[in-house]
Amino acid sequence: MMKEYFDSLESGLQSAIAQGKGSPRKTYSLELARLGQRLYSGEHKVAWCGIAAPYDLLNAMEVTSCFVEFIGAMLASTGIVGDFIEATEQIGYSSDSCSYHRAVSGAAMKGLMPKPEFLIGTTCPCSGGLAVIEHLAAHFEKQLFVLHIPQNESREEVRHLAEQMRAMTSFVSKITGVPLDPDKLKSAIGKTNRTREIITQVYALARQVPSPINSKELSNFGIVMALFLGTDAGVTIAETYLEELQKRTQSMGSNPAKEKIRLLWVQNRIQFKNPIENLLEQEYGAKIVIDELNDITWDPIDNGDIYEGLARRSISIPFNGSIQKRITHLQKLAQDYRIDGAINPCNWGCRQGTGARGMIEEGFKAVGIPVLNLEVDCVDPRKFTEGQVKTRIEAFLEMVESRK
Amino acid sequence: MFYLGIDIGSLSCDAVLIDHEEAILATAVVPTGARNLEAIARVTENVLHKTGIPKKDVKGIVSTGYGRERVQERIGAVTEITCHARGIAALKPEARVLIDIGGQDSKAILLDAEQKVMDFAMNDKCAAGTGRFLEAMARALQVDIDEMANLDLGAQGGLTISSMCTVFAESEVVSLIADGKPVNEIVQGLNRAIATRTLALVKRIVANPAGLPVAMSGGVAHNAGVVRAISAALGGVAVLVPPQPDTVGALGAALIAKEKCESFRG
Repeated sequence: MMKEYFDSLESGLQSAIAQGKGSPRKTYSLELARLGQRLYSGEHKVAWCGIAAPYDLLNAMEVTSCFVEFIGAMLASTGIVGDFIEATEQIGYSSDSCSYHRAVSGAAMKGLMPKPEFLIGTTCPCSGGLAVIEHLAAHFEKQLFVLHIPQNESREEVRHLAEQMRAMTSFVSKITGVPLDPDKLKSAIGKTNRTREIITQVYALARQVPSPINSKELSNFGIVMALFLGTDAGVTIAETYLEELQKRTQSMGSNPAKEKIRLLWVQNRIQFKNPIENLLEQEYGAKIVIDELNDITWDPIDNGDIYEGLARRSISIPFNGSIQKRITHLQKLAQDYRIDGAINPCNWGCRQGTGARGMIEEGFKAVGIPVLNLEVDCVDPRKFTEGQVKTRIEAFLEMVESRK
Repeated sequence: MFYLGIDIGSLSCDAVLIDHEEAILATAVVPTGARNLEAIARVTENVLHKTGIPKKDVKGIVSTGYGRERVQERIGAVTEITCHARGIAALKPEARVLIDIGGQDSKAILLDAEQKVMDFAMNDKCAAGTGRFLEAMARALQVDIDEMANLDLGAQGGLTISSMCTVFAESEVVSLIADGKPVNEIVQGLNRAIATRTLALVKRIVANPAGLPVAMSGGVAHNAGVVRAISAALGGVAVLVPPQPDTVGALGAALIAKEKCESFRG
C-alpha cells in the first residue's frame, strides 16, 4: 500500500515538473516521494532513527535512513492516521501521548513500517521519540544504537558525542558488512556544506520585507532537509528554492502592502489538511514567514574533523538543551524576520510543544511579540475543531492588526 | 441611521440595534436552537418590531459568535473577542480585564487604556465552567438554571467539586446529593469550580490582576453566585457586570457596524 502510494506520488510529481508545472515545493516533495519509495522498496538497507541522527554519515554508508516522525506526519497528510493511532491504545499507549509516535507504533503493529536493518535512537529532541525507537527495535528484533546528545557545545561534550558517532559508524559497518569509505564521507560532507550554504541564502531571502515565500512553501522544511544532507537531492532542492526566490525577489520589488501581518510558527506545522494557511493569506493578508526549525544553527563541517562537526551540529539544534536556549533562538528569529506575531500550536501530547508554553510566551512578549497558543494535535485530525481554531486565529489577527 | 449587531452563540442568539449616536434602541435574546438561520431571522425581527424601524433603514449589520458567517446580510463578521471588548468599552470603559462566559466558551480578555485587545485566552477542548456546565449541574440538582443564582447563599464553603470535566462534575454532584449534602453547599462548590477555571484563564493573560478593574459579560454573568465566586477568587475585587451582560458581544458588533459604515462613507 505505501509503496504504491509513493510510486504514484513520485510519477505524478515527475510528470508535473516535466510539463513545466514545477515549483520548489514540488521538487522537495518529489525527493520525499523517492525517499518513501526507497524505504518501502524492500531493496534498500533501511534504518529508523531519531531526529538528531547524522543523516549525511548514514547516506555516505548507503543506508536509507529516516526519522520515525516522518511516517507519522506522512500518515496524517494522507488522512489515514486515525486507525493507526487507535491501534496503539490496545497496547497501552495513553490517548494523551504524542500522536506522531502513536501513529508510528500503530503502523508497525499493522505491518506498515518496513523492517529496518538497525535503529539509531537519539536522546534529543524527546524521550518519547526514543521510546518509540526502542519499541520498534523490540518489535522488529533489531539492534539499537543510542546517541546520547549532550546539552552544551563545550569541547568535552562535542568530543563525547563525536566518539559516540565513531562508535555508531562501527556499529553500522558491522551490521551492513560495508566499511565506511572515507572518500564517500568527504564527498557527502561536501554536499552537506553546499546545501547549508544555499539554504542560508534561501532563508536570507525569506527574511526580506515583503517576503518572497508563501505560508506553505517552507513548512517542515528545516527538519526534513536533514534527511537529504550529504546527497545530490539535498543540493538540488536547495538550488531550486534559491533560484525561484531570487526570481521572485527581482520581480516583486518592495511593496509592504502585500503583506499586512508577518507570522512565526513555533515547532512543527499541522500535518493533516487544514484551512489555516489559506485563511491567513486569503482573508487576512497574513503570512507565515518563518518556522522555528527553519534555521541553520551550525557551522560548515571541516573535512579535517568531520565527526566533531557532525557532533556540533546535533548539539546545536534549537530543541536541544535548556528552554532558555530555545527562547533566545525564537527571539532572534522574531527580530531577524520582523514578525508581528507568533503562533504556537502547542502540539497535544508533546512535552516540547506544551511544557514550555508559558516560558515561550513570556519570551516573545519580552521582545514585544504577541503569541497565540492553540491546543492542536498536529497529527490526529479527529481532534481538530475547525470552528474553534478559526475563531482563535481570527481574534489573534484582529488583535495584531489593531495594534499595528 | 441604524446599525445592528448579531451574536450567534451556541445557546443564544442576541441582537442589539443602535442609532447614529450609539444609543441602544433595542436588544433581544432568543435561543439559537438547531437552526441558526431561523434564530437570526427571529432576533432581527424582534429588535425591529420593538422599535418600529424598517429593515431598510438599518445601514449595516455586523455578526459575531460561532455562527457569524451564517448572517447573509452582514457587512462584516468579527470574532466575539473583538466584539465583547468593543461592547464592554462602551458600557464599562474603566474595565481592563473582561471575563466572558457564554454557552460553551469562556474567555479572558486584557484591554489597554484605549480598550484595545492586548491579549486573550480561551478555554480549549472542554466546556467545563461554561453555560453548558451550569445547565448540566442544574439538571443534576433538579433546579431551574435561574434559581441557581442565589442558591449558594448561606453556604459555609466546605465542598470541592472537579473543575476539570462536566461529566465527572455531574456525577460528583449526584454523589453529593445521595450523601445528603445541602444544596447551597453543592452550588457554592460548583461556583468555585467555575471561578477556579476562570482565574486560570485570567492568569494566562495577566500574571497579577490585582488593581485592574474586572468586568464580566456573557449569559453566565446573570448568575450572581458565579460572579460572587469569581470576585472571591480574584481576591475580593468588585466585578463590574453591565445590566444586560449577554448582549455585550452584539452591542460591540453593532458599534463596529457603525464604524465600518462611517469608514466606507469617509
